[in-house]
Amino acid sequence: MSGVRRVVPGALIMIALLFFLFPVVWMVLTSFKTQTEYFANPPLFLPHSFDLKNYVNALAFPPDGRGGLQGLRDSLIIAIGSTAASVVIGSLAAYGFARFRTGGENLSFWVLSTRMFPPVASALPLFLLFRQIHLLDTHMALIIANTVFNLPFVIWLMKGFFEDLPMDLEEAALIDGCSHFGALRRIVLPLVTPGLVATGLFSFIFSWNEFMFALLLTRNEVRTLTVIVPSLVGGHEILWGEVAAVGTIAIIPGIVLATVLQRYLVRGLTLGAVKS
Amino acid sequence: MAALTSRRRLPRLGKASPIRPRYLPTLLVLPAFVVLLAITIFPLLFTATLTVLSWELTTNAPARFVALGNFATVLFEDSRFWNAMRNTAVLVVVGVGLQVILGTGLALLVNRVRRGRTLIVSLLLIPVMIAPVVAGFQFRMIYNDQSGPLNYLIGLLTGGLWHGTAWLADPSVALISILLADVWQWTPFMILIVLAGLQAIPEEIHEAALVDGATPRQQATHITLPLIVPVIVIGILVRMMDTFKLFDIVYQLTAGGPGSTTETIAYYTYLQGFKYFSLGYTAAMAFIQLAVITIVARVFLGYQKRTQNRGSL
Repeated sequence: MSGVRRVVPGALIMIALLFFLFPVVWMVLTSFKTQTEYFANPPLFLPHSFDLKNYVNALAFPPDGRGGLQGLRDSLIIAIGSTAASVVIGSLAAYGFARFRTGGENLSFWVLSTRMFPPVASALPLFLLFRQIHLLDTHMALIIANTVFNLPFVIWLMKGFFEDLPMDLEEAALIDGCSHFGALRRIVLPLVTPGLVATGLFSFIFSWNEFMFALLLTRNEVRTLTVIVPSLVGGHEILWGEVAAVGTIAIIPGIVLATVLQRYLVRGLTLGAVKS
Repeated sequence: MAALTSRRRLPRLGKASPIRPRYLPTLLVLPAFVVLLAITIFPLLFTATLTVLSWELTTNAPARFVALGNFATVLFEDSRFWNAMRNTAVLVVVGVGLQVILGTGLALLVNRVRRGRTLIVSLLLIPVMIAPVVAGFQFRMIYNDQSGPLNYLIGLLTGGLWHGTAWLADPSVALISILLADVWQWTPFMILIVLAGLQAIPEEIHEAALVDGATPRQQATHITLPLIVPVIVIGILVRMMDTFKLFDIVYQLTAGGPGSTTETIAYYTYLQGFKYFSLGYTAAMAFIQLAVITIVARVFLGYQKRTQNRGSL
């Protein structure tokens, strides 16, 4: 009886791991397969060899003329740009909310509520606005769109991190003649760095994975990896190997950060509603 | 690892405090406020004015004032809108329901693991961190009726009696296929937060119950369950709001097809706005979605406020 008790949960967890990892593993394996291998019936689990032909093809000679490396570059520029902007603007506001209750509870909750806004509802006005000011199909368009959608997230997460810090240290600094800004820079920021890094990495991933705005606000000049993947699948001849290679590159940051961020994941994914 | 929200009430620099600076609080919040105002209030007002117009960019006809005509058409004449609403409701109710049941069950199992728990959780979390379009692509391969592994597996398990179906092209299962892909991606999220809730339960409570002679079943129903329910509710609300906006996976897997059998409300709005360019009509639909999501968001914000004020859930 006790043997069964111990074996069954373990087996169930193994099945769960298999279920949640299989699609990812299958894509990674496909990225190494040749055309005959990924069209094989019955399906072939392991590729014959792990050469990087699909990666080279997808990055250097994209099937549709633009892709691969350009997508990697565009995704990076946009994710880094919007992360920097939202972390700087957001942490300042978060500090204001946490320490001075600027605007009272209503203002900070209004900020949070903007996060719930359905993106598809703001896509059309943004599209028309950006068309008017000639921002369509630029990095800036997506940096702005992603910054706005990440701001409420950054503010709420950072607000929680600031509130976790005891006030005594800042007060001591103030009494010793430090200015408020000096106290923020010399005392608070160093202490809150882990939270700041976690928040930044989260917004990086959100922008990196973002798809709808990238699809609607850019076209030829700028194409993120998330836009390239479905654009390659849409055609009549699907180059599974190459798409899988692009997809594999696209999921690397997420997987790395899931490991690094594990301590903060609960907090991050619930907008600070549940803390770990 | 985790502790349920316990926020100490912090002394804040009140208005009377001599060291409260005059302008700093406003200056800190101002940039964020301006950005959010410009990019949320502008679209809102702009959308509001669009809702009363009939404005088709595909024709050269000028915009025409139709008052509440767009809303009337959406709500009373557009069966495709209601079809999209129904699909979305299925994904929200059944999909999120499955995520909660599977997620809670697995969290209870993982919580009992003594060694290697961190590794298991890291691995389980991979789906959450993947871009939904890439997840969609993975399932395109898996569902493929020619060379996909799913139909092969079904053939093996049924001894060749059934070889599966065209998961994305068969109108009777296409929505289920999308639902399963979404459940795959977000069940780990529920595992993660229920696990956080479980680990926040102090060991002493269980010990005290044990001393008082509580059976394992009593402990489960009287201690564990009541203490993780608030966390589960937050998980459900977050997932409901996100599922209501489901777009990426639909775009990648079926593009709303076959026909319009898998159109979600976000996808249908996208079609009206960016394929048919019916500006007024799209705006009206956007407003209806805003109304629906506001209801869920209010409940979520209410929870957040309680956390804020009481110091715990």
